[in-house]
Amino acid sequence: MSEQASWKFTPTHFALGVLLILAIAAPLAFGSYHHYLASLCLINIIIAIGLNLLTGNAGQISICHSSFMAIGAYGTTYLVSKVGLSFWVALPMGGIIAAMFGLALGFPALRLRGFYLAVVTLGFLEMSQLLITELPSITGGVRGMPASRPALFGYTLASDLSFYYVILAITLLAIWCAYSIINSPTGRAFDAIRNSESVAQTLAMPLSRVKLIAFMLAAFFAGIGGGLFASLVGFIDPLEFGLWTSVRYIIIIVVGGLGSIVGSVVGAVALTVLPELLRDFKEYNELVFGVLLLAFLILIPHGLVSVVPRIRQRLSGKTNSQPAISKHGAGV
Amino acid sequence: MSYFTIDNLVVTFGGLRAVANVSLALGKGEIHGLIGPNGAGKTTLINAVSGLIPHQDGRIVIDGQPVHQMLAHKRAEAGIGRTFQHAETFADQTVITNLVAGGFAHRTSTVLQDVLGTPGKFAAERKAFAEADKMLDIFNLRALRDVPTGDLPFGTLKKIDLARALLAQPRILMLDEPTSGMNSSEAQEVITACKRIAGELGVTLLIIEHNMRVIMGLAQMIHVLDHGEKIAQGTPQEVQRDPLVIEAYLGHGSATHA
Repeated sequence: MSEQASWKFTPTHFALGVLLILAIAAPLAFGSYHHYLASLCLINIIIAIGLNLLTGNAGQISICHSSFMAIGAYGTTYLVSKVGLSFWVALPMGGIIAAMFGLALGFPALRLRGFYLAVVTLGFLEMSQLLITELPSITGGVRGMPASRPALFGYTLASDLSFYYVILAITLLAIWCAYSIINSPTGRAFDAIRNSESVAQTLAMPLSRVKLIAFMLAAFFAGIGGGLFASLVGFIDPLEFGLWTSVRYIIIIVVGGLGSIVGSVVGAVALTVLPELLRDFKEYNELVFGVLLLAFLILIPHGLVSVVPRIRQRLSGKTNSQPAISKHGAGV
Repeated sequence: MSYFTIDNLVVTFGGLRAVANVSLALGKGEIHGLIGPNGAGKTTLINAVSGLIPHQDGRIVIDGQPVHQMLAHKRAEAGIGRTFQHAETFADQTVITNLVAGGFAHRTSTVLQDVLGTPGKFAAERKAFAEADKMLDIFNLRALRDVPTGDLPFGTLKKIDLARALLAQPRILMLDEPTSGMNSSEAQEVITACKRIAGELGVTLLIIEHNMRVIMGLAQMIHVLDHGEKIAQGTPQEVQRDPLVIEAYLGHGSATHA
């Protein structure tokens, strides 16, 4: 029963390999602006993966994902610029601080569901915004705070290309962790409590603990993403982490596919690149964005991730069978 | 002292006593039936024993270990398992994923291992899936392994629910109408499975069942509830002749005509 014995090279592995090679090689053919945009895609992937674990898998709605991103961004930047820590120490610490706040938010959230949870997380978002503006000695207040690029082996990652590769490595690590979580007892407990808290409990799943873990993980991913974001952009202010940012990540996971890592990836790339493509519409770009979003949700309600199996099904000539995808079955 | 005892259990909803001082005693590996008209409090009793709803009074003890003050997941860890009247499978997940969730109580990886994806975690994962795959074969579900359960007929869902509960390796298993929605061959399959679960694995079974033929052939002892109270207990033959039971089922005055 060794893994080697059951491991086969499937078209999925081939596709993943091609994607990885593209992610490494393609940027060489493009300029700095595209490297910056690609890095933004990767950061959004990390942050979306965290939210998808919490909302898509564990079924807990959160409108304050941008707050955890902010905590990671400000925490990492503060630790680097004011405390003088290395970025590589400060970044995981920023993630851990965000996770601690996730834990703190998790406790009141244990007793709440649905709309009530949404309202509490909205309150948390407002509070975090207020704290950022009211603590200018730490955060720079409304005027914002500059952040710097880290150095690696004595070489500052000033170019967008070099920083892109670092972010790519961290993104791959994040994807690996999320893949492992989803295919583990912890991930199954997330899926179980989303489906039925009663059943989950009778299968020995500790409800409170599982929810707190989900909140902490989501906050950690967002915190890491926030720390990278600050360093990539070079400047952070409270407006970056407002309600719209939280809503954008919710849109990303819904458009991509709830409970699916591929969904997080596809959704993050689409929602990062699309606004750039819509720049040609100038003042109408938000209108076009809104129309596309509506059209999308009507046409592909189960997310972009559901498209591939549906096409494959069409090609194989099966007309009447299971709905194209169990959105949580794939585990990838 | 029996292996599994429920002692003077009381569950009230507002002013209504849904379960009123009910006591049951089951020996290890025994199969007991729990019957009664609709609204008698059978499912309420199971819900209270598994910890999903609070009880107001009474004791629940497995093999000398009191569990009535534990949270639901702790009771599951202590060996109380159950199935659900409406199967409650995870509709958007495949059959095999549903079953593997049942093995949660016996997970060997820690949360940190789950997050980091260590080799030990993946080894544990393969073991969990191997056990679930074995259960697929026992319940003839192999062909449906990777089908989402939302599309399956109710009788199949009941089997999945039972298989999932068994993977938690319970000491006491409470089954809520295990053969409802099944055709007679499926029902026979479940009856055979129940006998094996009790006989070979030594699991104690408490079965709610509306199909009298099923429960009379399966249980060695039957407890009858009516309006939250236990009105009779005995072997299938004794219970069938009990005038109180006949009255509860057929209405007042029927006993004299029976």
